[in-house]
Amino acid sequence: MKRKEQKTFIAAFLLPPLLLYALFVLWPAVNAFRYSLTRWDGLGSATWVGLYNFRNILARSSEFMPALEHNVFLMVVPGIITLSLALFFAYVIHQRIRGARLFRIAFFFPNIISSVAVALLWVLIYSASDVGLLNNLLRLINPKHEMIAFAESSRLLWALVPMIVWSGTGFYMVLFLAAMENIPDSFYEAARLDGAGSFALFRKVTLPLMWDVLTTGIIFLVIGGLKIFDVIWVMENGRPTTTTHTMATLMYSKVFEEYNIGYGTAIAVLLFILVLLATMVSFRLLRRERLEY
Amino acid sequence: MQRMLGGAGSGLKYAILVLYLLAVVFPMVWVLYTSAKSTQEIYQNPFGLPAAVTAPSAKTLETPIENFEKAWVGSHFSSYFVNSVKLVSISLVLILLLGAMAAYVLARFEFRGKGLVYYLFLSGLLIPMQLILIPLFFQFSDMGEALTRLLGPITERLGLGYLTVSLHDSHPGLILIYVAASLPFTVFVLTSFFRTLPGELREAAMIDGASEYRIFFSVMMPLGKPGLVTVAIFNFLGLWNEYLFGLVFLNSDHLKTLPLGLASISMQAQYKSDFGLLFAGLVIAMVPTLLVYMFLQERLTKGITVGALKG
Repeated sequence: MKRKEQKTFIAAFLLPPLLLYALFVLWPAVNAFRYSLTRWDGLGSATWVGLYNFRNILARSSEFMPALEHNVFLMVVPGIITLSLALFFAYVIHQRIRGARLFRIAFFFPNIISSVAVALLWVLIYSASDVGLLNNLLRLINPKHEMIAFAESSRLLWALVPMIVWSGTGFYMVLFLAAMENIPDSFYEAARLDGAGSFALFRKVTLPLMWDVLTTGIIFLVIGGLKIFDVIWVMENGRPTTTTHTMATLMYSKVFEEYNIGYGTAIAVLLFILVLLATMVSFRLLRRERLEY
Repeated sequence: MQRMLGGAGSGLKYAILVLYLLAVVFPMVWVLYTSAKSTQEIYQNPFGLPAAVTAPSAKTLETPIENFEKAWVGSHFSSYFVNSVKLVSISLVLILLLGAMAAYVLARFEFRGKGLVYYLFLSGLLIPMQLILIPLFFQFSDMGEALTRLLGPITERLGLGYLTVSLHDSHPGLILIYVAASLPFTVFVLTSFFRTLPGELREAAMIDGASEYRIFFSVMMPLGKPGLVTVAIFNFLGLWNEYLFGLVFLNSDHLKTLPLGLASISMQAQYKSDFGLLFAGLVIAMVPTLLVYMFLQERLTKGITVGALKG
């Protein structure tokens, strides 16, 4: 009797969330693989084409490969700057300098602004019209400065670098700061007794002991770079060009503008595989011997 | 304890910190005070303070009010705002309830297939939303048609007219996706949280004759508050800022959320060159986040770290 009651309870609690999740996440995920093997315009019936879409993507790579390169660019270039700045800020703030709290609170804030608002803010910063903050700053320095359209398609990828650093650094700083606060003070004292200087302390004590968190940070950056969509979409007014497309924007255009559902979904499948690979490789390569303390 | 850095190195470090602080804060302050300027003022003096501040008069004070009125009423920011609040709060309640139910069972009970269910939820952490976006789009069309075929005849017979169900361009449809897609992370964090709660509490309540349902709602949920808050914060930010699914699934202007509204206004206002309106819209979009951050700053950063380190 008691057992049966418990069984009902388990079913009543587990089935609603599980069904919802299966119906709106797992099932579409499985379908994505099916779609990627067809040619379909979204209206008539789909034609099975096997791996044609994937061969098409990889062979006639004039669209997909540049998009993938843009994704890689947007994870590597801002990524390196973001990680270095975040590590530096976390380390300095961890030393309980004056104003540490203010710096921590302020630096983190851009991270929680919506990506659309961030994109619009930087559209205004980069604007070549009289409103543009950056152009006006440059005009203060050099009165003869001619307005530059910083966020124009041909320059957009580079223009995104400061923006991504600006919005992301605080998050990684907070992440690293939490890891540093977990390291017992006695470790530093022991190292200091051995005559280690400030930089040696960082390299020999701090860094190895927070390696796990650093790995997590790198995985976030890589996955974020692979999935990037919002900022490009908004800054390009919904019309990215071959110089600005990323995998996600290309997928969107293929499906919702060219009605090439098979091709678009194949891009989504490749994106998924890359996310999976990136996660596994980062764990393998970066997860050195774990230091227990 | 001597943890301060000495001399010149310290000065340089401070200089970098302060410089970065300016780079973070100044653009936001700039947006804030520019939103009180007319487009003409912005063109004439891009850096200067608004006339409403430097020379307050009935006429200059009109400008900021005009900008915000244009954004709030004319450009429907009031409706975007209400839609965002509605979508996010309903989703959050459902996410917390359903997530906690699954997590509690997974953390506290033994049954066949438990491992499989847990890993099914976990696998969702690796699924990018872009993968399910397109299949969901067509799945919604099929489900809408099926539901219409099923319910239409019934409602017609009841004299209510033939009911047409569409999951596209509707808040309930988007809520279903938001809730389902947020479950993996929520279940993951809450399962590990419920595992840490002492088991004796449940036994004691059982001896008192409480049913499993009662134990969950009046013992476990209150105890789970710290975990629930962490998950709520994380999901709130994700949903409040969500853009891609909204873009695909909401077309009607009166259904759009803040990120969608902001994006479409930005495209329109740029053509009209109405910068006053654009800045005001940006302020309306950023202020709620700023307020939440000011009040929950400590919890938020902690929640994010916990969430991130677990995810």
